[in-house]
Amino acid sequence: MSILEAEALELEIEHPSGLWRDAFDRLRRNPGAIIGAVIVALFLFLAVFASVAAPFGQNERVTAPTSTPDGPSSEHRFGVDKQGRDYLSRIIFGARLSLLVGIVSVAVGLSLGLLFGAMAGYFGGWLDTAIMRVMDILLAFPGFLLAIGLVTALGPGLWQIMLAVGITNVPQFARVLRSSVIAQRESDYVLAARSLGARGRRLLLRHVLPNSLAPVIVQATLAMATAIIDVAGLSYVGLGPNDPSLPEWGKMLADSAARLETGTHLVLFPGFAIVLSVLGLNLIGDGLREALDPRLKS
Amino acid sequence: MALLSVRDLEVRFSTRKATVHAVNQIGFDLESGESLGIVGESGCGKSVSALAMLGILPKAGRVTGGSVEFGGVDLLKLPDQKLRQIRGKDIAMIFQDPMTSLNPVLTIGRQLTETLEKHLDMDKDVAKKEAAELLERVGIPRAADRLGDYPHQFSGGMRQRVMIAMAISCKPKLLIADEPTTALDVTIQAQILEVLKNLTAEEHMALILITHDLGVVAGVCERTNVMYAGKFVETAPTAKLFSKPRHPYTLGLLKSVPRLDAARKERLEPIAGLPRDLRTLPPGCSFAPRCLYATDRSRAETPELHTIDSDDHLVACWNPVPDADIPERHSLEDPGAS
Repeated sequence: MSILEAEALELEIEHPSGLWRDAFDRLRRNPGAIIGAVIVALFLFLAVFASVAAPFGQNERVTAPTSTPDGPSSEHRFGVDKQGRDYLSRIIFGARLSLLVGIVSVAVGLSLGLLFGAMAGYFGGWLDTAIMRVMDILLAFPGFLLAIGLVTALGPGLWQIMLAVGITNVPQFARVLRSSVIAQRESDYVLAARSLGARGRRLLLRHVLPNSLAPVIVQATLAMATAIIDVAGLSYVGLGPNDPSLPEWGKMLADSAARLETGTHLVLFPGFAIVLSVLGLNLIGDGLREALDPRLKS
Repeated sequence: MALLSVRDLEVRFSTRKATVHAVNQIGFDLESGESLGIVGESGCGKSVSALAMLGILPKAGRVTGGSVEFGGVDLLKLPDQKLRQIRGKDIAMIFQDPMTSLNPVLTIGRQLTETLEKHLDMDKDVAKKEAAELLERVGIPRAADRLGDYPHQFSGGMRQRVMIAMAISCKPKLLIADEPTTALDVTIQAQILEVLKNLTAEEHMALILITHDLGVVAGVCERTNVMYAGKFVETAPTAKLFSKPRHPYTLGLLKSVPRLDAARKERLEPIAGLPRDLRTLPPGCSFAPRCLYATDRSRAETPELHTIDSDDHLVACWNPVPDADIPERHSLEDPGAS
């Protein structure tokens, strides 16, 4: 039984760990992903503790309204806006909105996309054809145009915007999940599970789905970044939340774009906030893609 | 009454362009505790027959005829619900590639206990204990500590042991092993076969061993069926088949296997030609185009299995290999050595 002992030894060298922990270990060694995580964590922190972190309230007047608002000073580091509100505080409260928008719209896209993608991939046949043709129709419109159309139809509230952006995400999630479900459906362990008496729903939920999720998770982080941009873009073209007191980054950008010369800081800071948060999410997404790709396992 | 009795089983695969005649009216009986080898080259229908018996054929395949009686019940006529209760409990299967046959995101323990909980209604703690015991039985050291490990932390041989443990967990009456050692290296192969042999003997399980490797059946199976183009062409007790192969295909298979006791200069003889295209099945013996013994009758009329030499030796051939052509060295003295 010396071979057995040798195998046992060889196994001991490998430290005990799970699939997800392995991926997490690889993620931790990726400097890009770390930077992304730090950025996103910072925004998350600001969003959660906005009322403590911001020096002033989001609608608190600190100076009189003016058409030539002051730029950054030691008292107001990001300057003030036309209504005389502290701009840093508005940006910080804006993080709350933007992250909410990212999370909710991705959640909408993800849940519908998972449902349709899993059904199409697992059951195949006419159901697959029907679902995927509908997805193709949705994909035929440029995402942003589709979102504009949906917001026009649904009305201009914040929730409607999130719903619209979420729906434009559905086809991507459905496609990604469908293809990986199809690959897993034909795999040996699914056949093995069937030979041991596993049945339809259990097979899908316990065996096929968990093994198909990795690419979808990557897609979700990247989609969150585009969702933030999309919502900012919708606000910029005037389809944003119509409540002027809401500190939405894209809306702040749109409101001050006409005064680029007199109030540069009004354009610069919200733009910078959008870029930074999107960059952070993208870095995490790329890191995840590498960490979850079994071919890159070393 | 036989434990398993297959009659005229027929499987077809429909593709857009043609129908593939994968399995053509095969039949055999298996007593409980008996071990049967099914031997043939890739694509001859060995695995498909097994999948058809369990009702887990891929989508394009369907059973077009025959019966598979297991304990007196025709499995092909059972509703899926009932068949599911038999799969894994009374009949279990082991697959070729242990590297891909385990779910990578579930722990070994979970995969083992799931079957136990489902089929035997064990509660979690009992199932866990039983799982550790099963792993121990298939020769995995420190079994209890390894229940929380994932498949990728096991080597190929170890994973195949886990697969066997899963298959025997509900003490099935019949175990189907589809090329269980093909993906493993030779030393591990021998160990896995040893485990299979011992377990089936201890539990009085019937075994169907599907393989392309004559060495494997020689060591394990009491009886061997040789399959070609979806049909059985010869069936005999394993020792008899090795010492007196009557079908030219069986002889060809034996001659193409290297042997330790062969004279040094002797060359291996491949079987000329290519496997039969199963999309068309013209009349006559499927093996005729590649056969040295083919006659005009072989090309015109399909031979059926009939007895030759003795009652337990059947061959489907119009012109069986004569004694003079059977090399002396193809004898099988000790069925225990592989």
